[in-house]
Amino acid sequence: MSASPASPGARQTVALALFGLALVAAPFVVDRYILSIILLCLIGAYLGQAWNILMGFCGLLSLGHALYLGLGAYGAAALYVKFGIGPWLGVFVAMALAVAASFVIGWLGFRFRIEGVYFSLLTIAFAESARIGFDNWAWLGGAAGFFLPVRAEDFGQYWNLRGGPFFFYYLALALAAGGLFVSARLRASKLGHAWLAIREDAQAARALGVNVTRARFMALFVSAAMTAVGGVYLAFWGNNIFPGQIFDMAHSIDIMLGPIVGGVGTLFGPIVGSFLLVPLGEALIEALRALGLNAPGAKALVYGFLLMGIIAAAPSGVWPWLARRLRLQDREQ
Amino acid sequence: MSHKNLTFHRRAVLAGAGALIASPAIVRAQEKKLKIGVLLPRSGFFAQAGQSCHRGALASVKVLADLGYNVELMHIDTESNADVARTQAEKAINEGAHCLVGAFESGHTLAIAQVCEQRQTPLVINVAAAPNITQQGYQYLVRNFPTGGMLVTNGLKLVTELTRSAGVDIKTAAFLHANDTFGTSMRTAVDAIFPKLDMPFKLVESIAYDPKAQDLSVEVTKLRSINPDLLMIVTRAGDAIKLTRDMVRQKFEPKAIISPGSPGLYDEEFFKAVGPYANYFIYNLPWANPKSAMTQALEASFKQTSPDNRFALDCFNAGFTFEALLVAADAFKRAGADDGPTLMKAIKASSIKDHVMTGGPIAFNDKGDNLNITSASVENIALTPTVVYPAEAATAKPVLPMPSWQGRK
Repeated sequence: MSASPASPGARQTVALALFGLALVAAPFVVDRYILSIILLCLIGAYLGQAWNILMGFCGLLSLGHALYLGLGAYGAAALYVKFGIGPWLGVFVAMALAVAASFVIGWLGFRFRIEGVYFSLLTIAFAESARIGFDNWAWLGGAAGFFLPVRAEDFGQYWNLRGGPFFFYYLALALAAGGLFVSARLRASKLGHAWLAIREDAQAARALGVNVTRARFMALFVSAAMTAVGGVYLAFWGNNIFPGQIFDMAHSIDIMLGPIVGGVGTLFGPIVGSFLLVPLGEALIEALRALGLNAPGAKALVYGFLLMGIIAAAPSGVWPWLARRLRLQDREQ
Repeated sequence: MSHKNLTFHRRAVLAGAGALIASPAIVRAQEKKLKIGVLLPRSGFFAQAGQSCHRGALASVKVLADLGYNVELMHIDTESNADVARTQAEKAINEGAHCLVGAFESGHTLAIAQVCEQRQTPLVINVAAAPNITQQGYQYLVRNFPTGGMLVTNGLKLVTELTRSAGVDIKTAAFLHANDTFGTSMRTAVDAIFPKLDMPFKLVESIAYDPKAQDLSVEVTKLRSINPDLLMIVTRAGDAIKLTRDMVRQKFEPKAIISPGSPGLYDEEFFKAVGPYANYFIYNLPWANPKSAMTQALEASFKQTSPDNRFALDCFNAGFTFEALLVAADAFKRAGADDGPTLMKAIKASSIKDHVMTGGPIAFNDKGDNLNITSASVENIALTPTVVYPAEAATAKPVLPMPSWQGRK
């Protein structure tokens, strides 16, 4: 059934189109600093979308998504540096590595019925083990990091992800748009409905004939593979990978913070969350500097209080609240 | 007025004309200020070291002004976060920074390096040890800091020289290190470099420990059973405290305890926690040369800008931060211009003889590394880090072998 022009669905489509157009035009309008912030928002939105599939749709809380990020980053970067295999091929290997790791986590979790917070602890344990392992893996640079070459003659080799800030901006935009598209399609699919049923009540879903283990595995695989693609992006964008940073628990928290603030389980929550949190941090730096309160740590303190305020004001996330206020949806999306 | 006084020689006229041609650029450089964005992790995980570097930057302003350099510093907190480092670097350049200095940690430094490369703005690294930073191909960065390999090589060489000069016979050594990122990379470097240096003693055991452990009694018991003449350590302040307490408790007293290059032994936290037991630990690191006039000037300024802190404890981070600023300021003065390419060319051509840290003139190789940085042996004497070797920088004689734990006051 098509939406009427005044319907929330139509308004939502128009708002999304305008937002997309603004993002496409941004490099021609804003300066490099603002563009770098929008780029971080886009990466955050994409990674949040990947995490949201697992937690928001399927109800499995992962606190160690940095694992897939790191495996993706190292997988594609190592293939490129050590064997000259480009990232467009490397990304599939990266995804395969992440899926393999998620399979082990899933197998342990589902086989031995490790659920709830214990499943979350399992994801942390794997991410930490990977960090320690890569810290000591000399072939990939160990703790001293793994580096991609930055050569002027490589510039413009877009097939090797060797480009400037505009290239990486549009790539991030494509990732964020792709992440939204994949999430929307999956959520509307039979599998997506199975995930939602499992999230609400796994026992009831099982009683209704849903293959819970298979559906959970699928959520893990999709989420891990998407996150690994983000890792490939980060490796080729930053040109360096340090185990202590890429596998860091803080990275996992950053990934999930956007969807939590934006609205877990909603399609637009990760985007709204990311576009709220990243600029908020930057705005706070400016505001505190203007007020002469640029003491180290002051930002973190104010940021924490604001975060608590946001969560208290919109406990289901900012997007559902915002969508209601702007009449952008007739049901939770 | 005699006629002779008005005689103009051709050479003088040529020199005058040359100066006249060159003077606008030089005068402009004198009039204009070099805006330097100083990006440091002043909050977050690396805050302690970032603050230490920041105090160095604060003290640098007066010293640089006294030396005739015209600089304006923009102090920026990277929050121990690479993404913040990247966006703040963009912002600093937007706001007119001609050059950036930072950023203490290798990952953050590389995030800034990428921005600098794209925007053709020089980056002078104050502290960051990952060897590959200068080997990736960035054209707009130099590093006035030793790589991890240089640090360990210089540190191990000094162990031999120091113990020989003090007449202490070392036959066996054990290596104890934290199993965190830094400790593990130091272990890798020691394993690779030790066999190549023809060291006069045998490394009988390398022991890794968890810096988060409640105590290090098991490790110290193991060390007692090995009973090495020399204990080499790589610690942070927190675990150095635990290690010291367990060594005192178990009366483990090797002839010397020397770090081939790590922090932790010169932190205020360490001195306050273990008191007189902090004395006689030795660490081999690049250090502010106390006999350098510039170090003395920096110390005097430091006392003004950070009266609650001791320069002796901050001089490693503060000294390297000052030198990074000095490199930028000196290049600006020589180049007479603040545009990125010209400034970078001048930075790469640096040859600064008088400076703060131990070693030869500040100069950069093709990659952008300063290979003239050397280490000094620094010993805690009377709860103050004191340079005891080499002689040209030493202000006291080394106390070796290490006195017993018993009876210390």
